Amino acid sequence: MNLLTEPIGVSHYLIVGAIMFVTGALCMATKRNALGVLMGIELVLNGANVNFVAFGSEYLRPGAVSMGLDGQLIALFVIVLAAAEAAVALAIVLNFYNNHSSVDVDKADELKG
Amino acid sequence: MSLYDLMHSLTADSMRSVGGFEGELVLCATIVLILLLRIPRLTSRIDSFYVMLVGSAVALYMAGPWHPVEQPSQLFTGLLINDTFTVYFRTLLLFFAVLFAIFTRISGVPDRDAAPDVYALVLGATLGMCIMASANNALMIFLGVEMASVPSYALAGLLKGRRQSSEAAIKYAVYGAGTAGIMLYGISLLCGVLGSAHIPTMGVRLAELLQPANLEAGVGLDTHMVLALGGLMVMVGLAFKLSAVPFHFWCPDVFEGASAEVNAFLSVASKAAALALLARVAIGFGYIAPPIETQAEEQVALFNVADEPAQQPETKEQEAKPPAEEEEVLLVEEPSGSAAAFSPLADRAEQIAALAPARDYLAWVLAFMAMITCTFGNLAAYGQTNIKRLLAYSTIAQAGYMMMPVPAAMVLAGSNPAAAQGAIQAMVFYAGAYLFMNLGAFAIVAFLRNVLLSEEIEDYAGLIRRAPITVICFSLILVSLIGIPPLAGFVGKFQIFSALVQAKLWIVLLVAGLNTAISLYYYLRVVKTMTIDPEPETRRPVSMSFIPGTYVVLVSVPLLILGIWPESLNALARMATGQLF
Repeated sequence: MNLLTEPIGVSHYLIVGAIMFVTGALCMATKRNALGVLMGIELVLNGANVNFVAFGSEYLRPGAVSMGLDGQLIALFVIVLAAAEAAVALAIVLNFYNNHSSVDVDKADELKG
Repeated sequence: MSLYDLMHSLTADSMRSVGGFEGELVLCATIVLILLLRIPRLTSRIDSFYVMLVGSAVALYMAGPWHPVEQPSQLFTGLLINDTFTVYFRTLLLFFAVLFAIFTRISGVPDRDAAPDVYALVLGATLGMCIMASANNALMIFLGVEMASVPSYALAGLLKGRRQSSEAAIKYAVYGAGTAGIMLYGISLLCGVLGSAHIPTMGVRLAELLQPANLEAGVGLDTHMVLALGGLMVMVGLAFKLSAVPFHFWCPDVFEGASAEVNAFLSVASKAAALALLARVAIGFGYIAPPIETQAEEQVALFNVADEPAQQPETKEQEAKPPAEEEEVLLVEEPSGSAAAFSPLADRAEQIAALAPARDYLAWVLAFMAMITCTFGNLAAYGQTNIKRLLAYSTIAQAGYMMMPVPAAMVLAGSNPAAAQGAIQAMVFYAGAYLFMNLGAFAIVAFLRNVLLSEEIEDYAGLIRRAPITVICFSLILVSLIGIPPLAGFVGKFQIFSALVQAKLWIVLLVAGLNTAISLYYYLRVVKTMTIDPEPETRRPVSMSFIPGTYVVLVSVPLLILGIWPESLNALARMATGQLF
């Protein structure tokens, strides 16, 4: 089965979502800048969103059980939550910067043991 | 269905649902009130503590167990479920909110300026936790976890201008947001494969997918890997909320950096809600609950538009199609038999039997995680010198004990639902006793911090000569955390162990027993430091005043009462689990 010759279906969307998820997870794991980590988190959330919208579509998977409108609705809720989470996380990063004069997450090493 | 009919039935459903959602609505109103009151100059002088206290007390009154729930009902087109399990955990959380408000008032953190913000955040997180405990939809799992987590990140950074506090907040936020993202991806996989976000529907679909006929014919095997992966990813998010190994890294750091008040909130409320959610998810995917008899069936289907009614004919049509045409219509990756894999099962007993592989999977993953969590928490607590850090590792270990009944219930659910109910009941009881144990422990840490200006264990040396009542209460709490009779911790642990025996999980039982022995050492070391060790020469005179002392006594006496007469809480726990199986 060659994805390149198939008509666009749910698996194409899933691949995009998976790539976004893996990129985001890598970003979270490797970035030292707190803002980079937050961007990775956004990518992970949006990768999941792509999945939800694709699974919710009746046209991408004819015949299979689909989530219907639930998929789109969940995506909308996740967008709102991602914004709220980003707002709080950015405020926390700013607070961290005020105390440590840096947004390097490796500098957060005073608490350990 | 016309738009008018749709609106009409949605309105009717919402009006019907509000009755089971009053406690949460009161919380929402209190948050708005707290935030608005500080704007006009006249009302900004009102102490937000009273608003918080009254708000949570009214919410507790609205949601408490004195409004009996005879039949579980689904709220808001099946998004939430209102049953006795929900009522129990909601009562626990709101009761904790009331106790927490009084606690913060006595300890003086937050100060008057920060109080409105802190109380709004605490109530917001409590609202999220109530949603976690009553989640009946995959969306609500994620929303509840996020609503509980996001305010907690801000609470961890409550102490302004402190390096440690800001470090704790950033660690919490980064770990929390990361695991929430992974959990969301897992939810998207599960929902997509099972074609619904409504957990009972997902359970039924899973049973249809896993039915013996399918397994023998090899239909839908390719989806099993996706389901296992999705389940594991959801477990990541839950493990973070429970601070279970390997997602516990945040817990000691956050507990050391944040104030003891916030620690009490995180270790009691957050953990209770996470446990409730864990039980809900495990039962949702490993067992088929008795059908809910309400007039809401029609509305439930409404949210999953074109889901239930349209699915059956579609499936038949699919089967009837000649294979050549089918290959053209169906798209990549979806095997041609995928829709046919969801052929309906005869009755509930057959569905429950079909879910055996899912139960095995859940039981193994959870039992393994619980054993590792317990052992790691207890071993890491050994070398700690900071009391908050020690209690953080103790929290991790306790999370391990509290997770153990869930795999036991999964093992028992297929053959003996009554015994499975008993296992969940043990968890529910322990969560109730745990509220008093950890609230008391952190309250004492906070009060001692106010007089000693220190949170190091060595500074507690010989404290019994200065504050005998506080030390006795702290010793009671620590001994109860070990699980020594006649305290509530013993009763809870005994019930958990007996559930493990019934489920024949001997390895888990052995690990739990060994861990209890290990934990003796570090809990009793604190007791020894406070009672036997000599007082340091340099310490300034210390005395606990009357009000903190009274609070501490009031919080720790229930441990003794529940240890000697556990039947009162036991009856509540039995009621709470009665509608699950």
